[in-house]
Amino acid sequence: MHDSRPAAGLAEYRAELHRWLDAHHEELAPCFAPPGTLDDHIAQMQRVKRILFDAGWMQCGWPERVGGRGGSPMLRTELGAAIAGRDLTDPGLFSLIEVLAPTLIDFAPQELAAEVVPRLLSGAELWCQGFSEPDSGSDLASLRCRAVPGGDARTASTWVINGQKVWTSLAQYSDRCVLLTRTGPADSRHRGITAFFVDMKTPGITVRPLEMINGEHEFAEVFFDDVVVPADRMLGDLNGGWAVAMSILPYERSSCFWQRIAYLYRRLQRLVEVAQVDDRAAEVVGNAFLELHALRARSRATQHRLAATGTLGAETSIDKLLVATAEQTTYDAARRLLTGMVELDDSAAGELWRSEYLYSRAATIYGGTAEVQRNIVARRLLGLGSDE
Amino acid sequence: MIDAADRAAMAETVRAAIADADGNAAVDEVLRKLGWLEMLDAEPADAIEIVFGALGATQRAATALDDVVVSALGAKPRADLAVLLPRFAAWDPPGRIDADELHAQGLATARAASASEILVVCGAASEPWAVTIRTTSAEVCAVRGIDPDAGFHAVRVQGTAAAAARLDPAAWRSAVALGRRALAHQIAGASRAMLDLACAHAKERLQFGRPIARFQAVRHRLADALVAVEALEATLTAAREEPGCDTAALAKAVAGRAARAVAAHCQQVLAGIGFTAEHPFHRFLKRTLALEGLFGSADEIVRDVGRQLLATRRVPTLIEL
Repeated sequence: MHDSRPAAGLAEYRAELHRWLDAHHEELAPCFAPPGTLDDHIAQMQRVKRILFDAGWMQCGWPERVGGRGGSPMLRTELGAAIAGRDLTDPGLFSLIEVLAPTLIDFAPQELAAEVVPRLLSGAELWCQGFSEPDSGSDLASLRCRAVPGGDARTASTWVINGQKVWTSLAQYSDRCVLLTRTGPADSRHRGITAFFVDMKTPGITVRPLEMINGEHEFAEVFFDDVVVPADRMLGDLNGGWAVAMSILPYERSSCFWQRIAYLYRRLQRLVEVAQVDDRAAEVVGNAFLELHALRARSRATQHRLAATGTLGAETSIDKLLVATAEQTTYDAARRLLTGMVELDDSAAGELWRSEYLYSRAATIYGGTAEVQRNIVARRLLGLGSDE
Repeated sequence: MIDAADRAAMAETVRAAIADADGNAAVDEVLRKLGWLEMLDAEPADAIEIVFGALGATQRAATALDDVVVSALGAKPRADLAVLLPRFAAWDPPGRIDADELHAQGLATARAASASEILVVCGAASEPWAVTIRTTSAEVCAVRGIDPDAGFHAVRVQGTAAAAARLDPAAWRSAVALGRRALAHQIAGASRAMLDLACAHAKERLQFGRPIARFQAVRHRLADALVAVEALEATLTAAREEPGCDTAALAKAVAGRAARAVAAHCQQVLAGIGFTAEHPFHRFLKRTLALEGLFGSADEIVRDVGRQLLATRRVPTLIEL
């Protein structure tokens, strides 16, 4: 999966990419008035993916066996960061590719991966990730959504799924779902989980969007009632779902973060364009810049380590904590300097800052809470032993 | 450039040698024997990272900062030449020339007490001058302050500026940048040392029948301290790979912030023993407080950086993949 070549050529790629994006600015720019609804953002993202796919950019950094053009995964990171830094798509939505496509590439039967990954990259499809459950948030290994084989587990041609997922991003827009299910005994924890690639149109699936704190419906509850899934849609091994879930971590913690960082720089840029100039503002934007720079420096080192070794581990909990803090500091800076903007301004700019400010409060919660990250840092990186 | 494995091995050698030195005065001699000046000349980034990291970790004081600043100013560093550093928390040249008269006031390392000459930069940072004066013509006074072992001296100079020569403004900026990187490495070494002390204590100290490292409140403080240390180390790598005034300034500011956070967490975990003079923690705490003021405190740098962002209305990314 990984390409151990150094980042040589990355600067040229980046320069060429930005030249191309400059030349195609009008074609790529959002065609809705800001801030736009989630429907607008999804449509824009799929349109941008299509244009980038047709021009060959979306395939860079993906393996040739799934229709990619090969090369270092850092090429993907550069592309995501470039379009996030230009506000062409929302990086949170766009970078879902990074937590979904590698799963298919590493764990799906080859033909299936070759068939569906190009559809995700080209914007023909959207996928979602069914991990969290009402009673399984930070404690993912306790999940209960059950998959039962139609006959013997080893030879069954179908599995039947019953249960519920929650916080499933974009479920109502999705064509497929990477789903974690319980296939072992109820108390088998991470040893009894199996992943499936499920078509969202399968009978028995009900999606109920959840209204978030900013009024959007990015997440949903997903209910599975006797949903029949072909056995060849199993990802990885029977009871090997934990490895599937963990395998997304390197990409979530490298490429996704770099894209988010590009977007946060863009937000701080917007803030310094309009902020009043005084000592207090200098201190507030200076602080946010300091945190973003430290985060960017950390994330850069992380990506180079991934490119060199092909793997990342517990140390990325540090990246996760830094992203969360820097994101909240950036929006706190905006709230403090643009007096009343977040709280009272009904203009398009106000709507945007308000929505993003509220969303940023989740940065210490999603993808593993800040507390879980600190537990990992303490046990795995500081060697403080178990806390039990 | 030396590769990472060799660098780590050299760092360990230097650290052990410095730790073995008999008193701070001997540290300079140890560094001389290790070839510090030759290494500073040949591989400045490696030399600074290794030596200042080791000084921070071992809590020893040396006058190597003089050599870093002198060489960045384009002069040849030597044990007999000290440099006048800016006043505490500032980074403007420490002197001014008024009608051919030199007035300077700033800080210096312990070298100012023994060197025969002091290099003084004066004027505005945008139009600096440099002059080397006899130490005998300066008022050099040891500063006890919060950390008497750091060897700081307060220096006041009043005399003729006849020998002053124009200095390239880029040389002063480079001296500030390299000085900041050196200090940030030292603070990073000290911060990691504080964290090591606190982790060791948390694993040994028993309360309520168990090591306090088992308590989540303690673990999370130590985790946050590690996050701060590692973020600082990343900004130092960035400053090394993308050398410049901005990356160096940010590294120094991150160092100041990290040291304060790490010290606060570690002191709370060390609790009673960390409040005593018999535990080494207090020396790291005091040293990082003293170092934070050299070439600009974190607060001053952050304000300065923020003013630049607002003046240009632009947020630069500084580092790329």
